[in-house]
Amino acid sequence: MICSTFWLFLNLSRSRSKMSVDKEETRQRLKAAVHYTVGRLCQKIGEDHRREFSRQTIAAIAETTFRECDIFAKDLEAFARHAKRSTVSSEDVKLLARRSSALSNHIQNKSEELAQEQRDSRKKSTVKRKSRDTE
Amino acid sequence: MICSFYISQETVSKLLCSSFKEDKTRLGSDATLLMREMLKVFVQEAALRSLKQAEAEDCNRIEIEHFEKILPQLLLDF
Repeated sequence: MICSTFWLFLNLSRSRSKMSVDKEETRQRLKAAVHYTVGRLCQKIGEDHRREFSRQTIAAIAETTFRECDIFAKDLEAFARHAKRSTVSSEDVKLLARRSSALSNHIQNKSEELAQEQRDSRKKSTVKRKSRDTE
Repeated sequence: MICSFYISQETVSKLLCSSFKEDKTRLGSDATLLMREMLKVFVQEAALRSLKQAEAEDCNRIEIEHFEKILPQLLLDF
């Protein structure tokens, strides 16, 4: 009797830990992706200024970025929930950028740029469709 | 200065979604693109400010101390 409950417990904890192992793996992979991009960006900036970033510095920037993402995500979720939405929108991102006016303006401009690109691509596909119809 | 290295849209989405507390919270596509820009600016600022700090101290290499000095203001700005 005790043996069977013991094995049941072992299997339950094994499956639970497998789930957390998968989650941990995903987290590590995301961290690695961030680290890679940060490394390339630092390399480019270093080259432009004829200086080199130490590996420790690149790792620190990558780690900070990764942690900031967690904070950003939770803020975005809170903003969306406050607006009674379950989908995070660009308005939430603009709110996230409120602390520095330079950043806020930059994000606002980027948002308008993206909206314009969308409108242009939609226009292009309508024109294509119209010309196809008239042929 | 053109720094055109971006984290992929998919990675940004996964990064943010993995930190959401509720399952029902989703990330819109326009929000994903904007966040990709936000993260790019963040990394750029971190790197450039560290570089400026190193230059101000007449150092040829950007060391972690330079990053540590600019970190408080960076976090306040974001």
